[in-house]
This record gives sequence, C-alpha cells and structure tokens, in this order.
Amino acid sequence: MSDIEAFLDPSVLARIGNLELLARTVVEGFLNGMHRSPHLGTSLDFAEHRIYMPGDDIRRVDWKLYARTDRLYRKEFEADTNTNFTVLLDISASMRYGSGKVTKFDYARYLAACITYLSRGQRDRVGLVTFDSDIVEIIPPSAKHLPNVLHAITRATAERPGDIGPPLKKLGEHFRRRSMILLISDFYAEPDTVLEAVGHLRQRGNDVMAMHVLDSAELEFPFDEAAPFEDLETAEKVPIVPDQLRDEYRKMIRQHIAELEGRLGAQGVDYAMFDTSQPLDYALFHYLNRRQWLARVR
Amino acid sequence: MGFLAPLFLLGVGALSIPILVHLTQKERKEVIQFPSTMFLRRIPYQAVRRQQIRHWLLLLLRCLAILFVILAFTRPFFTSKKGVAATLMKMGKDQVILLDRSYSMGYGNRWERAQKAAKEAVDNLGANDRAVVVYFAGTAWPAGNLTSDKLALRKAIDSVLPTAGATRYDVAFRAVQRVFADTARPSRAVVLISDDQRTGWTGRELPALPAGTSFTAVNLSDTLTANVFVSRVDTKYREDESAKQERVTVKARLANVGLKPILKHRVVLEVGGREMQSKAVDLPANGTAEVEFTELPVPPEITAGAVRSAADSLQRDNVYHFVVARKQPLSVLVIQPVKGDSMAGLFIRRALSIGDHPSFKIKTVQPGQLSASDLKDQGMVVLNNVPMPDDELGRGLEKYVQQGGALLVALGSRSDPARWPSFAKELMPLPTGAPVEQLAEFGATFGFIDRGHPVFEVFNGPRSGDFSAARFYHYWSVTPGPNDRQLARFGDGRPALLERRVGTGRVLVWSSDLDGIWNTMPLQPVFLPFLRQAAAYAVNYKDERLTGTVGQVVTPATLFGDDVPSADSAAVRGMASEVKQYVSLAPDSQQVRFGKAGAPPTLELTQQGIYELKRASGDADKRLLAANVDLAESDLTSFDPALLEVAVAPRPVPASEKSPISAELERQDLERGQAVWWYLLILAFLLLGLENLVANRLSRSAR
Repeated sequence: MSDIEAFLDPSVLARIGNLELLARTVVEGFLNGMHRSPHLGTSLDFAEHRIYMPGDDIRRVDWKLYARTDRLYRKEFEADTNTNFTVLLDISASMRYGSGKVTKFDYARYLAACITYLSRGQRDRVGLVTFDSDIVEIIPPSAKHLPNVLHAITRATAERPGDIGPPLKKLGEHFRRRSMILLISDFYAEPDTVLEAVGHLRQRGNDVMAMHVLDSAELEFPFDEAAPFEDLETAEKVPIVPDQLRDEYRKMIRQHIAELEGRLGAQGVDYAMFDTSQPLDYALFHYLNRRQWLARVR
Repeated sequence: MGFLAPLFLLGVGALSIPILVHLTQKERKEVIQFPSTMFLRRIPYQAVRRQQIRHWLLLLLRCLAILFVILAFTRPFFTSKKGVAATLMKMGKDQVILLDRSYSMGYGNRWERAQKAAKEAVDNLGANDRAVVVYFAGTAWPAGNLTSDKLALRKAIDSVLPTAGATRYDVAFRAVQRVFADTARPSRAVVLISDDQRTGWTGRELPALPAGTSFTAVNLSDTLTANVFVSRVDTKYREDESAKQERVTVKARLANVGLKPILKHRVVLEVGGREMQSKAVDLPANGTAEVEFTELPVPPEITAGAVRSAADSLQRDNVYHFVVARKQPLSVLVIQPVKGDSMAGLFIRRALSIGDHPSFKIKTVQPGQLSASDLKDQGMVVLNNVPMPDDELGRGLEKYVQQGGALLVALGSRSDPARWPSFAKELMPLPTGAPVEQLAEFGATFGFIDRGHPVFEVFNGPRSGDFSAARFYHYWSVTPGPNDRQLARFGDGRPALLERRVGTGRVLVWSSDLDGIWNTMPLQPVFLPFLRQAAAYAVNYKDERLTGTVGQVVTPATLFGDDVPSADSAAVRGMASEVKQYVSLAPDSQQVRFGKAGAPPTLELTQQGIYELKRASGDADKRLLAANVDLAESDLTSFDPALLEVAVAPRPVPASEKSPISAELERQDLERGQAVWWYLLILAFLLLGLENLVANRLSRSAR
C-alpha cells in the first residue's frame, strides 16, 4: 500500500489522534495523489482568472498567462465557489457499532472532517450539525468555522438513541440560504421516515448528499452462535439463531439500501453507501464528483 | 435375534435428544450488541424456517450413534443357526483330558503311549479352546484350571508318572462334572486316555456327561497281556523254646496272569531292607504258586519286610510289603469251674491259643485256687461260668479292672444272681431272675449285632462271619446299666453281649456260656475270630504290624489306641489343645505332621511301601504300616470302550423339562460368544467421529 493509500485506510487513520491533522493529511494527500488515483474522470474545470493577491496559493498561478501578460493571475475553478457547506452528523448510539478497528462513528467523523476540510479548501463556508433524536449542536456555516467544526466533531460522542425525523424537520427551517448539505448516518429508520426527513432538507433548493455508513457485519451478519442480540439504542434483547435468519437479514438490509438509494435518488438526493472497511478516497471522490456535477448543472 | 436386556430398548426415546439439540442449539449466554434490531425483529423467532431440519446427514449420524449405544446395552445376539455356529466357533470348546495314572498304566509302554496321546489332544486344541488335564486313579484331581496355555498342559503331562492307585472311572467322570460345572461354554469335549481296565468299572452307574459333550476314548489296552504278581504274604510265628527265640516263617503266594507258564521265577525275601533269601518257583499259566521261605529269627524291634518277584512288564505288583514284629503274648487268666468239668474253658483255651497277634498265654485256675498274685501282670481275666469272688479277691479283681485290666464274664449255669457279691454290680451288669429258656423252635438267635463296634467291625464285609447260625437255648437276663453298651442282643431283645467301662479297664459280659452247653456258639466257625476279637478289644490290643491298601484312609489315633472324640462334640471344644497329633514318614521319606485340634486326624495311603507312624509328642511308641497296591488292578482285562461311551452318554432332556436356568445360560453363552455389543459400541464411536467432521465442515461453510 502506498503512503497515500495508507493515509486513506480508516484503520491507519484511527491512529491519528488529531482530527484536524487527520483531515489535512488525508485531503492533501488525496489531492496530491489525484493524478495517480484509479478514479479516472475526476477533474476540476477552469472557470475564470482572478488577480493574484499575496497570500494566494502560488500553485494556482497561471504561469502561461504570466508569460503572455507579465501579470500574475490565479486560476479559479468551477468548484471555487463560495457555498454553504454543512455536515449533518448522526451521533445516535447505533453509530457506536464497529466489528473491526474502526466504528461507524469514527468513520463518519473521518468523513465529516475530511470533506469539511476539503470543502473549506474549496473556499466554502463550512458548518456542522450533530443530531441523534434531536439536534445536539449547530455550528453555522462560516469561512472561519473550520476549527470549530473539527473541534465539535472531535468532542462529539454517540450515546443516545436516535430518530432522524424530528431533527431534520427542525433543520429544514434552519437553512435559510441555499446550501450544500452532507448527511452522514446509518439510516436505521423506515425509508418513508428518511424520505420525509430528507425532504425537509430539500426545501429551499438545498443540495443534499446522503452518505450511508454501515459496518461490514451489518451487511453480512457473520455471527455463528445463537445468542441474545442487544439493540444499542433501545437496549432491547432479541434471541437470535444466526444460522436460521442470516439469509433473510442480508436480503432485508440490501433491500433497505436499494430502497433508500432509489427513492432518495428519485428526490434528487445523491446517495452512497460506505462500508467502514473501505478506504476514504472513495468517499472523497464521490463528493468531488458531486460538486463537479453540481457546478455543471448551475 | 434375541436380547439379554430388552428393557433398554425403551431408551430409543433418547433419539429425540439430537433432534431437540438440532433444532434449538445451544445459546450463548453472552449478549451481542448490535446497532439496531430493526430488521431482526421483523424475522419471527418462532418462524417455521427456524424449526426446519436442514442438516439431515448430521441428524442421521447423531441418531444412529445413540441408537447403536442403546442397542449395545440391550446385549443382542443372533439366534439363527449360522449365528449360533459362528458363536460356537468363536467361543471355542472346553476340553477335559482324563489321564489314567493307575499303576496298570505302567504295564509295558502304556504310559509313554498315554503321554503321546494326551499331548496330541493338546496339540489339536484350537486357538480359542481351553483344556485341563485331570489325573485319575483311585481319586481324581485336576492339574490346574482350564487354560489355553499349551505349554502348561504339556508340562502337566510330562511331569507325572503312574501312581500306585487302582482305576476308578466313576471318580474320573465326577471330576469331569465338577470341571464343566464351572464353565459356561456350550461346546465341551472329554478325551479319556486309559487302558480301559475292567476292574475300574465295577458296575456302578457312571455320571453322565453334560449335554453337548463329545467323548473320545483312547484305548491303550493290549490284546495279550502277561503279568506275575505277589498276591499274598503270610507270616507264621513260632517260639523256639530251646533257643529262647521267636522265629517267623514267611510264605508268599504268586499269581501268573498269562497264557504261558513261567519256570524258575525268582522270588526274593527282604527283611529290614536286606535281601535274606531267594527262591525259584514254577508258575503255571493263569495259575498261582506258593513259595515258603526258610524260617528266620524275628528281629528284636518291629521291622519292615518285603517279598519281591522278578521284574516283568508291570512292576508295581511285583512287591508285597509286610511288617515283622515280636508276638508279645498276653497273659490270660481263666477262672473256671471245678476240675471235673472237662469241657469247662475248653473252647476258650483253644480259641485263644490259636494265632499270633495277639498271642495269648493262658493260665486256668479254679475259684478255690485263686490268689491275689494270680491277677498280677494279667492282660485279661475270664470268669467262665463262675461268679465273682465275694472276698478280698473280688475286691482285688475290681481294683484290677479299675486300673486298666480286662474282664470277660461268661454267664452259665453257675452264675445265679444270688452268688454274686453286692459290690459286683459296680463292676458289671448282673444276671437277674432265672435263666431264659429258648428250647422251642430250635433256640434263640441273635437279633442285633453292633457291627460298628470294634468287636464286630471285622465282620462287616460280606462272607466275613455268620452269626445267624448260632443257637441259644439258655441265657441269663441281664439288665444293662445307664452307661452300659449293648453290643449284641437276642431275638427277644435281651442283651447277649454288654460292655462296661470301669476306671481305665473294660468288662465284657456274655449272657450265655462259652462252653457250648447253653448254646452252639463255640461250634460256629465265627466263634474263634469272635472270641479273639473280643479278647483283643477287651485288653485294648493294638497290632504293631499294620497293613493297608493304597487309597485307604486310616485314623492313626485308632491305630495307637488313643481316644478320638468326634469333631463336633463339646469335649473337643473343651479339650481342643489335648487332641493328639501324629507324624507320618511316607515311603518316599516325606514327613507329614497332621491332626489339627478339633478334627480326627486321618492319613490317606497314597504310596506303596512302609509308612512309619509316631505320636507327635515324641514318645518311642511307633507303628509300621505296610501299604500294598490294590491287587484288583493287576487284572489287566479290559472292557470295550464303546460300552463306556454309552454309559456316560449325555441324557437327553426334553424341552419341557429344560431348566430355565440352562436356557438362560445358553442365551448368555450366545451373547457372550458373539459380543455384538462390542461392535455396536465401535460403530457408535466411529459415527460420532464422523458426525464431528461433518459438523465442523458445515459450520465452516456456513461462515
């Protein structure tokens, strides 16, 4: 595994204690390695030139234009638009689950931190909302709120039961300006509830991306021995004989994923499911693709 | 098919256990935390799908394993002919090899042939067969237990020789019964290795062999036999007055059981282990001859002697042992009526004068001539038709008896009750009333004789003494005392002969006379041995010269004249420490000490030759007992072994009379022989192993 890929491996990232460092490392590494990435087709389209001001990233200087004009201009890309970018992070107790080294919550935090960092790098105003069955914390989008957001992500804990409907309904009123919203959750709710909740966010033309984070054990149900299974949110115990219902469970979870993908997609919500064992680059590519598409559409 | 324990079949219900386990499985006690049971709750716990059996192979393996374990406990067995035959083959047979060790087996090369046949029987044993060698002659005894060890069996055959005993087939087959009583194998065999001697089967019914026993007889008899043996030795003692020496003449009788006469057959006389004389005798075919050796002086001490015949094909019966001892005559004082009665005491004197052991030295006196000194050193006093003296002499006589003397009283015409002193009743039962007359119907006879008493013991055998011919015309009625023993009674129940113990002496009272006047007893052939026996008993005479036959059991206490209380008497328990013990030195010089406290000590004569017996207390008194072989064994005539096979053939038992115990034994034999339970347990074990493999594979594939 190359150094760049290593920094995208969630199990490696788990060793990095500082979320800001983690996010910067991941994003810069990701961006620097983009030309070697197997994810072809991703590009940042040139939008316009702006006068170079001291402090700007000299890597954006258009040297060819300088050669022609003897003036320093920096390139502006399509993504370089000032957008309100808010991450809605599900911090319900079910996000605490993890069958390997990384829990869903950790993975979601990495995603949130990295994408927020990436977004800020795109000169977006970043914000954060953490929720479970209610809104826990709101950091309004701002160009200066990256440290706040990272700090809030760091100190968030997944303790309480969650219910996606009420908090998202409230948030529907919160976003007065058209924003880009990234919803990171495990979506343990009925598709109708999710659709209704997400529908509140889609008001006022917000662009919603849904990242469905699941552990591989939730997808494959690899358990052998019959045992009581305890719900992390409700503490309800259910006696389970895994051999007896494994196939049925797998079918159900996949149906749920498919239904969410289909119905959210029909509503114009970009849905993607991420296995916590997958490296983060896939999620980042997905995000960037979405931004690129949005830019074209606008 | 049968089952020894069919109740275990109820355990088939246990087959439901793997099914229950298969359906429910064992639940982990540990709780697994899961993000959400949203989807799990949608799947019903009691869904039919959960109760479906999906791994039929696993279930089958588990059920079969349990079934085989249950069946193993029921102890099944096959009852088909094939199954029974296979069981029998597998179990093997138990075989008894009866090896005749009587002395006739020493004839010619019979013993070598017997050993060879016995070893062949051992070699023919199968791998699962067991055998035991049972020796027999006069008794039978096994050389160990049933075993498959052929080396041990061969050793039991090679390590022995014929004994001095005579053949008895009934004891041999009883020993077979005892051996087979301890074995449960249904397949049995008997191999008899013998010379089929006719004298060994005296017409007694032989025990039948158990059902299913095969019988093989190896006949070692010879078509033609010839044997010479010493059948008898007599010794006659004579007092040589001039040499003041006692001398003995030994006469031997030899028999030739053969078709050819034998001329100048050498016969040797040994005394004290040294050859003294040798004679040559001509023996006719199938005949006998006597040889008389020259008179010899009797050694001062009791000495063993033997007459040996020249060697022939059977050695054991060529020697006859005997004992030579000084006569030690006993003094007998006969007090008889007045001198004018010439018949008085005649028969007594004549009877006691004949014979050597004991020999009696008789002195007769009349009542008026009797003095106190006459009683001194007398072995016995006879009051022949005279009453007891009523003076000091009478008291002296009483004292004599109390101190161990013997008194024989013959009551006759002069024995009126009034003539007896009053103190006489302390010494003996007295006559009462008037003499009983039995003139009608040719007189009275004996009605009862105590043949267990030493006086009459010798007359126990057939044709050994006829008392029935004696006729009694007169006799006294004698009232026995509470401790008197009636040794004989007349037909009317009145005592004819009584015994009373007085002090350490004995008194015998004869109710009629011994002069042939009141009865015809003295005229009977039995009178002489009877009177001698009565006199010998009265004086407690014990012949130092003892003879016996190999196989006979003797009681040394009796030979020494010691009292032997019965084993269960209170006297024994009270004086257990005082019961005498004896030491015997057998002909092979083995010394044996016997006679435990509380039990009469006995000695079985197992060897031919001289036994020396002494009291264990160490006193010098000893006895020599000459043990000779039973000469019936010298008759080598054999019988047809087919007759023996018929005689011991198993008796068929009707099925209705078949003992339920024997039927059960057969079932147990079949089950034990087939051991189906063992194979079932092995199968169950293999199935459980296979189940383990299959379960692991299914578990991995499920993951």
